[in-house]
This record gives sequence, structure tokens and C-alpha cells, in this order.
Amino acid sequence: MMDSGHSISPSECLLRMYEEHHEIEDYQKGVPRWCTGCGDNAILAAIQRLCRDEGLLPEKTVFVSGIGCSSRLPHYMNTYGFHGIHGRALPVAEGVKLARPELSVFVNTGDGDCCSIGAAHWIHAVRYNMNMTMMLHDNQIYGLTKMQASPTSPIGLKSNTTPRGSYLEALNPLTVTLGISNVSFVAQVVDWIPEVLYQVISAAYHHKGFSFVRIIQRCPEWLPKLMEPWLHDPQRVLMLHHEDGVEISPAVAKVYTRMEEHDPSDMNRAREIASSIDPIPTGILYRNEEVPCYEDVRLDGRLRTASLVKQGLEAEFDKFTVWPDASGQA
Amino acid sequence: MDGKIQDYITFFLTGRLDGGSLMPMDPVYRPAAFGPYSDLTSLRYDFPLVLNRADAGRALQSLSHLVDDAVADLADDPERDRIARHGYAIEMDLRRELDVSGSGDFHELWHAASDRLSKEREDAIKDSADLLWNLFNTEGIILDAERSVPFRAVRHLWSAVQADKAKDFRRKTERLLLKLRGILNAEVANSATGRAPEALRAGVGAGFTNAFDFTGMSKILMDSKPISALSDGRRQRIRDLIEVLEGQKFFSLGNEEAATYEFAFECSSEALKAYKERHAEAVSLTRALKMAELEAAGEYRERMHDRIFEGFGERGLGFEDLAELPDYLVCAEADELDAQESSGIVEMLSAGIPVKIIVRTDDALQPSPVAEGHANLGGRSKSLVDLAIGLADVFVLQAGASQLFKERDGLVRGLSYTGPSLFSVYSGSGKESKGIPAYLASAAATESRVFPSLTYDPSAGHDWSSRMSVGNNPSPEDDWPDHRLRCQNSSLQAETVSAPFTPADLMATDARYFNRFAIVPDGADDEGLVPLNDLKDFELEGLPEEVPYIMLVGEDNRLRKAVVDLRTLTEVRRCLAMWHSLQELGGIHNSHAERLLAKERSERALDVTVSEAPLTVAVTVGETATAEPEEVEDAIAEPVGDDPFIETARCTSCDECIQINGKMFAYDENKQAYIADPDAGTFRQLVEAAEGCQVSIIHTGKPRNPNEPGIEDLIKRAEDFQ
Ligand SMILES: Cc1ncc(C[n+]2csc(CCOP(=O)(O)OP(=O)(O)O)c2C)c(N)n1
Ligand code: SF4
Ligand code: SF4
Ligand SMILES: [Mg+2]
Repeated sequence: MMDSGHSISPSECLLRMYEEHHEIEDYQKGVPRWCTGCGDNAILAAIQRLCRDEGLLPEKTVFVSGIGCSSRLPHYMNTYGFHGIHGRALPVAEGVKLARPELSVFVNTGDGDCCSIGAAHWIHAVRYNMNMTMMLHDNQIYGLTKMQASPTSPIGLKSNTTPRGSYLEALNPLTVTLGISNVSFVAQVVDWIPEVLYQVISAAYHHKGFSFVRIIQRCPEWLPKLMEPWLHDPQRVLMLHHEDGVEISPAVAKVYTRMEEHDPSDMNRAREIASSIDPIPTGILYRNEEVPCYEDVRLDGRLRTASLVKQGLEAEFDKFTVWPDASGQA
Repeated sequence: MDGKIQDYITFFLTGRLDGGSLMPMDPVYRPAAFGPYSDLTSLRYDFPLVLNRADAGRALQSLSHLVDDAVADLADDPERDRIARHGYAIEMDLRRELDVSGSGDFHELWHAASDRLSKEREDAIKDSADLLWNLFNTEGIILDAERSVPFRAVRHLWSAVQADKAKDFRRKTERLLLKLRGILNAEVANSATGRAPEALRAGVGAGFTNAFDFTGMSKILMDSKPISALSDGRRQRIRDLIEVLEGQKFFSLGNEEAATYEFAFECSSEALKAYKERHAEAVSLTRALKMAELEAAGEYRERMHDRIFEGFGERGLGFEDLAELPDYLVCAEADELDAQESSGIVEMLSAGIPVKIIVRTDDALQPSPVAEGHANLGGRSKSLVDLAIGLADVFVLQAGASQLFKERDGLVRGLSYTGPSLFSVYSGSGKESKGIPAYLASAAATESRVFPSLTYDPSAGHDWSSRMSVGNNPSPEDDWPDHRLRCQNSSLQAETVSAPFTPADLMATDARYFNRFAIVPDGADDEGLVPLNDLKDFELEGLPEEVPYIMLVGEDNRLRKAVVDLRTLTEVRRCLAMWHSLQELGGIHNSHAERLLAKERSERALDVTVSEAPLTVAVTVGETATAEPEEVEDAIAEPVGDDPFIETARCTSCDECIQINGKMFAYDENKQAYIADPDAGTFRQLVEAAEGCQVSIIHTGKPRNPNEPGIEDLIKRAEDFQ
């Protein structure tokens, strides 16, 4: 009854009436072991809100992660989840999606998990462009292992592995992602503006393709002062908005007055915006719905029936068969 | 009064040939507009048609369009002109061949024609024929306009639509069966039997039986065996579903031996009987499809779904429910319809049965069965079509056979429509129109508006003009399309005569109505004669001064005038009135809209400035009025008096305040904090929470208990959080 062109039968209508509805608490499992004040809590809340608002069925939803504080997220979701091995969240998620394309797949990873040990998978996942949503919880530190510099740590950051301050310029996950072929969705948010966080995750979920969302996340345990200048000065956040991107509510606009209208189809401007570290740009930087998804290109829609599998195997075996009576052929 | 004119008027009023100023109608005369079409085989037009074995969108093709499209595809070929010439020659030859044989295999006939021509003319024709053939990408039967065309074409399209449905059904059912069997198989694999040593050994294959310790393996697997098995109810339900899906006879599932039902019928009673007999099975299959879909997705909940499916179909099924199953096809001949068959058709159309009915009219000029000698223009089709449109959810398409190619999209739409459809097609091959090729007769019926093209599509919108369309008729805006004939007058001067093709012209081709026309002899002047076209508003109010005539042409190719009698003029006017109401329903010349427009125009002309001024004011008022509530709704909550509050929309759910006092602070439905009870804790807790909140959105308000220990200091600390 939503689209006027197509009507449904009474029985279909009845079936829809009995569809299940969930509240936010239905998606919650256990008590998060994150430190109080940790930005991961905000991300979890936004995700649970999305699940409720989209009516995602817990048994049709999967959260996949690697290792790290951020990667504990699947434990707190009352859905399917896979707490994998360090850096390998993406290959696991890709396998899930290939085998069960009908599931909603989310990936939660950290800056260490994604940008150091898992960097190779990150690049290829962007190129594969499978329909899933990846959230990079970027607290610019290895949190779980108690404060080692990560590739996104700002230069000069003192940590357990860089007692004299880190030597290298930080890696910029946005410019890296935008440079990979087949990139189809890139966004950035900060964990402390919940409304925009929710809107961006929601847009990422609705995008058909691989959505990369970098979330600048506070780690009050190890870096309590790191984000403070940005937290206390709304002018240091640049709100990207557009009718095809995030639309900023009057409430948010009242506090965050620095804005730029940015069309997410404009790759050149997206790259310029991505390189800005201060102010922090938030919103959708780039979106391209035209990039094909690997699962669509790869799967031909044929059912994998026993006979089809057998047929394929026979064809392979035939290549190695020597026919005893056909002496001329081998 | 001139004796000649008296004769004219007598014939006009009575049909009697008194006097001698007029001559009786002779079969050698044909409507003047037919003049250029004496040999159709030398012209290029939509026919012959090709019943292409392809999906519905490409299933109906026209030879001349195929050739044109193929030639267009050769845009870059240097030989293009020569190939095109060869193509047209083969097309012409084929058309001549079909004029005799009627129909045949397209591939065979195309190449036979090319062989003939290459022998007569040049060898290269064969190469062109092959090249064009490959570009056609078409195979099947080719047929000329003949009596069977309406049935064959519609049935062919129906089959194509059913084939698409069958493909969807097969894909869906195979997927569901795979899933359902998978659920049962998984249970077996996970059970004690599935993990017993023998089962494991059988799963590995003969070559490796000694390589594994199956008993040991089985022991490990037994320990990790999932405890949950299928409930008895679910297992039985899945088995039942598999049985229904495998046993259905509505579509072939690729197994050629399994018998499937026939859905094409010659008459409505047979179709209705079959429908009723199979109804219970149709309900059970539809139910099984819906249940299996839920089962396969793991979404079947006995608690609620059992109830829905127990009573499924008790009150009949809707069109949407039946849309996945095949549609019934009934091919009926309008001229043969008896009362029983007609009521059967109406019953099927009105009872919500997914039926596609094609009614073929061979005689569009049937004499009226009630009024002696009157013509029933449009034949039985008209009343059936009117009735079907009146039922409101029947898709209706009426057209002459000559229009079929042009109407192909409409035909496919009607055949794909979820619900009953009626197609009424005039073949142009009545016994009475002998000597006139079917194509020409049918085109003439369309042009004269005796058998106009119309489509009534209930799914196209809610009002008449979106549902009804008459745009496929020639010159749909006019009363009749105008034919301009170039000829020589008696003084050998070239002149152009306008000859619209009216129902009277059509009747002049039919021997049953010859007595309504009388030929004006050569040499008579125009006195007392006026073209029928000019008497469209004629009312008999006294002795007429002029009588209507139409133009005919004889075998000598000379134009003749024929006086038309009053009965015919009245019938022409009735036919035109019906055409006008069709035009109006189809959104052409809407009388109501035209009246409104005229009124609006005259009012606007009265005073432009006055009407514009208040309008501007109204807009401004409206804008400010709507802007206000929006702002109120979205604004951040401001402190109300001295109460503490949180800017909830900015809360990052960080748990900080909740950890301090889970009764004072709580999360809302979006998991964002608000002050649940300001009295559930101390002012100290409020201040500490405000200090701890990293996004500084907790506002402490004024202390509620002025006697709280250390209150002075707390009030100071709270100053930043007001
Ligand atoms: C293969 C492997 N190498 C190293 C580790 C140790 N280790 C655990 S978590 C982690 C870094 C996590 O950092 P990040 O991904 O940023 O997550 P955060 O805790 O900051 O959310 C490391 C190096 C490991 N678990 N596995
Ligand atoms: S260590 Fe940092 S990232 Fe990890 S839970 Fe604590 S605050 Fe969060
Ligand atoms: S401390 Fe602030 S951000 Fe954290 S839960 Fe409370 S109100 Fe929300
Ligand atoms: Mg980290």
C-alpha cells in the first residue's frame, strides 16, 4: 500500500500485520565493558537505533569485527555476530555476504585493526564494493592493549610504543579510501554529535555497496585530552550538508554553525574536504550508486542445486578422464 | 422544385429510386479513399506479422519494421543501400507469396523468397538476405492479415506472457524446494543417525574408507551435536509443503513427463468449469508458496501464522494472490456468441477470475437483430466492451486487426494485468466484405470510427482520462481522418478532393447496404448535393434542400458521387456521437474542461490586477504561519525555571551520568539521557555528572535542598552548567 501503483491482497496485508517489531532494548545484549565515557557507547546506541528504525530482524543481521575495544561491539548486539581475528573482520564479512546475500552485514573495526594489520583487506574490500556497512572506530590509539600508537595517531603523540612522541605523520583513512578504485561511499562523523552520527550510519546502511564510515571516537581512558579542543569549540567541526547528503536539523545548526554545502557526487571536492584535519569535516563526502557490487557481478543467480554442483564437478573431472577405448584421444 | 432534386429527396427519405435521376448502386464502386490501395501487395505496411518466439516484449513483430530496423543497424556499412534494396525486394516478394498462402515459417519463406529473387536477378541477394536475417534475431510463424490473425496473435502473446510467468514460478519454486529440503537434510545431518560412523563413512566415498577412524570421528561429532531438532509440527509442515509444490499441475517444473493443466479454451463455459475444478488446488498452491517463503526465510511463527493459513482462501482469493498462477485464455467468436456463452464471459469477467478473453468480430456491420434493416455499427463488440468497462476492474482493449502491431504494448499490458482482461478485435474478414482484403476492411472500420481503437486500463490511474486511451486511432483529435485524393476533373484539370472516410463509406462496401446508396450519373451538376461530412449536425426539420453524398470510384478509376439515404445519415451521426464520447473519456476535447477553461479565460480577462493582489498577501501570511511551529519543535529545550535538564538530543550515551545515579538519570527510547527524577539524588551528584559529561549538556539548575552539605561550594561549581 506504500506505492500507489501496486496493490496487495488481503492475505498479504494480514501477513504484514504480524511482522515483528523490536524496541531498542531488544537489540541490546549484556553490559558493555567499555570505560564510561568511551565513544564506542555512542556508536552502539546509534546502531541500535538504526536496527529498530529499519526493523532489522536480529536473525537476519550480522556484526563482524576484528580485535580491539571497538571490536567488542558484536558482543553487545543481540543479533548474529562474529568476533574474529585481528585485522580480518572484512574477509569474514565478505564470506558471510557471499553465502547469505540476504543478510544485513555490518563491520566494526578499530584504527589498529583496520589501518595497520588489516590494511590489505581494507583496500580490497573497498574495491570489491560488497553491500555492507563498515564503521571505523578511530580513537587514534590501540585501546585494548593499553595505549600504543596507531597509524592514525597524530604526529608527536606520546604512547607506550612512542615514548618520545610518534615520528610519522598520521595516515588519513578518508583520502586513502577515496583513492581506491570502485569506492562508492565515504563518510566521516564524530561520536559526540549523535544526530549526525545516526543520519550518516543510516545513509551508509541504505547505500547499496560498500559504505566506509570513519567515526572519530573518543578514548577517555588513554587520550582524555586529545579531542577536547574540538569538543569545546563547535567551530572546529565542519558540517557538510546537501539534499543528497545529510540535512542538518535546526537544533544541530544552532550549535554547529560552520557549514558547507557539498554534493556527494563531487569526487574532486570530496578529496579536498577529506584532507582537512582541522576543522573536522562531518557528513557524506562521496557517494556513487552506480558502482556494481561484487556479489551481483559474481553470483549469476543460478540456484546451487545438487544437480548443478554435480554437473560442474563432472565437467571438471572430464578434463582429466582418459577414455580407454578412444585411443586416438587423450 | 426541379425534378432531379425531387428524385434525390425521395431517395434520401425513402430509399426509392423514382424518376430516373439516380442509378442503383453497383458492386463495382468502392469508396474513393480505397483508390490508392487496389493492390496491397505492392505497398509497405504493418503486415505480415511475425509471431516471434521471444519474450513478450519482442513477441509480435512486423516484417516491414524488422527490415527497416535491420537497415538502420547497417548505418556504417558501405553496401547499405544495395542491401536495403535487396531487403525491400524480398519483403515485397514474401508479401505476394503470403497473399496466396496466408502463413508459414518465417525462416523458410524469407530464404525461399531470396532464392527465387537471386535466380531471377542477382546472386548477391542471397548474401543480403543472410545478413538481414541475422539482424532480425527473430524466428517463428509469419502471417498475413487473415481471419485467424486476432486469435493467433493474442494467443501467441498470451503464451509469451505465460512463459515468463512459468519461468518466475519455476525459479521461485526450485529455490523454495531447495531451501525446504535443505532444512530437512540439515536435521538429518545433525542427528545421531547423521553422525553415526556409517553415515560418515558413506559421506566420504569409497577411496578413503580406511584413511579415517569413523568411530572416533562420530564420537567427537556426537558430543558437539546441536541439541535442538525440528519440532514434529514443523517437520510435518515442511514435508507437506514439499508435497504440494512438487505435485502441482499448474506449471511444468522442467519434468516433461509430469502432466500440467491446459489453460486455453474455445469457450467460456469450458474455462469456467476447469477453473472451478482446480480452484481448491490453486488455493492450496498459493498458500503453500506463501508458507514456504516464510519457512525458507526462517520467519514462520506458528503462534500467528497457523491461524492465518488455516483459514486461507476461505473467502476467495484476490487477483494479486492468483497473479503467480497461469491466466485462463478464452478465444470466442463474437458473431457466434449465444446467450449462454455471452453470460459465461460476463460471469468470468465479473467474478474475479484471472481470465483473458479474446473476442473476434468478423462482421462489424451486422444488421441489427431488433430493428429491421438497421445496421448495428461495431457489432456485438460494442455492447460487450461497454459492459466490461462498466465492471471497472477489467482491462479492455478494442482494435481492428490492422492495428494489432501498433497495439502490441497494450496487448502485453492487458495480458500481464493482474485481473481479467477483454480483447475485442475485428478481423476484417467477414463474408460480406468479400473482395476487400482483410487488412483494408479492418483499417477502414478503424478509420470510420465504426470499430475504433481503445484501451481501458484500470491500473493506469483513478480517473477516466488516465484509464481510457484512444490515442492509437488515426487522427484521434478529429471526427474522421481526412483523405486527400488527387484527381483530374472533367476538364482535365488536376484537383484535390477531400474524402473523409465515414461509416457510410464503410457501408458502401457491404452488399447488405447497397440499397442505401444511389449513384449520381456522369455529367450531373452539384445542385442539391452536399458532402456527407457537412451534414454532421443534420436534423430533419422540414423539406431538405440538399442531400448528402459520398465519393466512390469505379473500375475505370473515375470518381462518382453516391447519394446516401436518411437512415444511413442517422446511423453515421450516432456513430460519431459515440466516437465523441470516447474522445472525451480518453481526455480529448473534454467538454467539462473546455467549458471551465472558457469561463476562466473570460473571468481573467475581466480584471487581472484585482485578482492578483490578495493572492500575494495570502501567500505571505501562510508562510509565516507554517514557519513558527517548526522552529518550536526543533529548538533545544531551554531551562524552565530552576529545574535541572539535559540537552537529550546531543547525548552520546556514554553512561557517565547513569553510572553516578541510575535513578536520577535515565535513557529514553533512543538511548539518550534525560533527568528522570531530579529528587532521586543529591545536588552534588548533579554537579558531578555535569562536570563528567564530556559534551557538557547536563544543566544543574538550582539546588532543591538548600541544606545539603557543602552547598556553597557546589553552587559555585554549578555556575558553568546553567
Ligand atoms: C595477530 C594479533 N596481533 C596483535 C594483537 C594484539 N592486539 C590486540 S588489539 C590490538 C590493537 C587494537 O587497536 P584498535 O584496532 O585501534 O582497537 P581499539 O582497541 O583502539 O578500539 C592489538 C595490536 C592481536 N590480538 N592479534
Ligand atoms: S580504552 Fe579507550 S577505547 Fe577502550 S573502552 Fe576504554 S575508552 Fe574506550
Ligand atoms: S554524561 Fe552526558 S553524554 Fe554521557 S550519558 Fe550522560 S548526558 Fe549523555
Ligand atoms: Mg583504536
